[in-house]
Amino acid sequence: MPSLPTLADRAATAAHADGLGPALGWTALAVVAVLAFMTVVGLLLIWVERKVAARFQCRLGPTRVGRFGLLQTVADALKLLLKEDIVPTGADRVLHLIAPLLSFLAMLLMLVALPLAPGLHVVDVDIGVVYLSACSGLGVIGILVGGWSSHNKWSLLGAMRAGAQVISYEVSAALALLVAVVFSGSLRLSEIVQSQADGWWIWRAPGCGVVGFLLLLVAGTAEINRTPFDLAEGESELTAGFHTEYSGLRFAFFFLSEFLNLFVLAALATTLYLGGWMPLHLPGLAGFNAAMDFVPPLAWFGVKAAAVVFVLMWFRWTFPRLRVDQLMRLEWQILLPIGFVNLFLAAGVVVGGFYPGAG
Amino acid sequence: MDDPNHNGEVRSPAALDPAPCAGGGGRPESDRGAALGPPRPADSAADQAARSPTAEACADPPQRGPRSGDAEMPQSRRMGGPVEAAAPWIDGVGPIGAMVEGARSLARGMAVTLSHLARPSQVVTQEYPENRATLRLPPRFRGQLAFVHDPRGLHKCTVCRICEEMCPNVSIIITARDRPAVSKKELDTFVWRLDSCTWCNTCVMVCPHAVLEFRPTFETAVYDRRLLAYALNRTAGPTWPVIDKLESAEAQAAATEPRAPFDGPTLLARARAKPGDGEEGGDGG
Repeated sequence: MPSLPTLADRAATAAHADGLGPALGWTALAVVAVLAFMTVVGLLLIWVERKVAARFQCRLGPTRVGRFGLLQTVADALKLLLKEDIVPTGADRVLHLIAPLLSFLAMLLMLVALPLAPGLHVVDVDIGVVYLSACSGLGVIGILVGGWSSHNKWSLLGAMRAGAQVISYEVSAALALLVAVVFSGSLRLSEIVQSQADGWWIWRAPGCGVVGFLLLLVAGTAEINRTPFDLAEGESELTAGFHTEYSGLRFAFFFLSEFLNLFVLAALATTLYLGGWMPLHLPGLAGFNAAMDFVPPLAWFGVKAAAVVFVLMWFRWTFPRLRVDQLMRLEWQILLPIGFVNLFLAAGVVVGGFYPGAG
Repeated sequence: MDDPNHNGEVRSPAALDPAPCAGGGGRPESDRGAALGPPRPADSAADQAARSPTAEACADPPQRGPRSGDAEMPQSRRMGGPVEAAAPWIDGVGPIGAMVEGARSLARGMAVTLSHLARPSQVVTQEYPENRATLRLPPRFRGQLAFVHDPRGLHKCTVCRICEEMCPNVSIIITARDRPAVSKKELDTFVWRLDSCTWCNTCVMVCPHAVLEFRPTFETAVYDRRLLAYALNRTAGPTWPVIDKLESAEAQAAATEPRAPFDGPTLLARARAKPGDGEEGGDGG
């Protein structure tokens, strides 16, 4: 697989060689592509979630607007655009306005660093894994600010819960990310993908890969505040948690970033453990590998990410919500020890070269 | 339950029966009846405990005074204790066993949801407005209360007023009239107030002549709430067995009178009689 330059690389090259115009063109292309991608994926994910949830619950889901209700989310987005934008009395107006944007920004910062396919990659950060870990922690600031500025005790409680939860689970998520880093020997996401050309880390890293992948799924689900870890929203106890006082377009921003966070988590798990856009290659089967190469990389990435998204939706519509003390116990007493042991085992395996393709 | 009209037949709603206690737990049969009546002062605490439908209450004989059985119960079976008392692990299997057990139970839950996803035939919702003709409704669905009329439009209501008495929120208003020549009452209008009904089905269950039934008609929305109280009977007059005993067709026809839905003491009739006054009939805002 040839490694094509990312969109940011193209813009930088154009700035040096061709001047400002082409550089701005590449930048504009990147911005438009990201915005369009975000909108399409966000609306599609909301539709899929509603359909999947309905089928899990013996319902039909949206069927009215467009074929199979495909335009339902578009209609909902239009409705949210037209809704009144309310800032409650006593709320901190500026922070209340900024909060959804902070949440959205954190998601956006993660999204641009993900390698979707060769060339379909906005910025290839040297320290991609660290960068993603940092940005995922940034999202909680939006939630905290939103809950704090709403001047509502439910919002504040939800935000504080989210703060405690995200900070706790970030530790486990980072430990899970590091397993893939230890095996691939790089923090750069494109190199992590390239390192899985002969097989994905989920099985090439003996044992540690599966544990790391599951750990990433669980900790990631907690970090993006999805059921069964949706204590920040907890509609049965906190009305809607941190976004109780949000309406209209600003609620839409919270909602959209929540669903795109789901995609980002799935994409991250795909990139680190399921080979990213790499086709399925099995050692010793040259014909099979060649056949797999005919499937375009974007399709590989899409299928893998969709599978992870489906598993996360499956979690959401099966498991009941945890209590706060159970949540903390799960992280600090169960996931964290598992994560550390797994990371040390992974380091031992890599140092000893006890995995296929080592060296 | 000390209603003289009610003689303890099977018609009593099942919910009023005490929770069945497996094994009895030393509770005599006579005690069971006493639990329903006014509580006797000496027994009330024990009854309170015995009436709770948990297995715990069934296992323990009723005790006078504070419950002392809690201390003997194993930790895991005690209910309502402090949260911290519960061990973080499932009892008796240790951390690894608890993790395996937890993973297995999570997998079992996921198998259930996946089986629903994989079988679209299990979908229970229907796309409603288009399929009015083929709508599948559950047999016991309670839509609107209705009278059971015979083909001639005659009813079997004897104006015994049990339903009116039993109705928990006065959603049934029966007006009777004197039967000519006999000193007995016969039905004039049977008004049902959809706006205050809770669909508890008590009226249907207590009716001794099976006059009432719930029909699965549910499109009851109207633009004026006064339309939500209406008469259910289509004819005023005696029951059809009484009418059948009359010899001539003329006498049979003279015994009954047609009734329209908004005849009788309905909100709409009141509004018609006194314009501007109809809104006062409502209980709610």
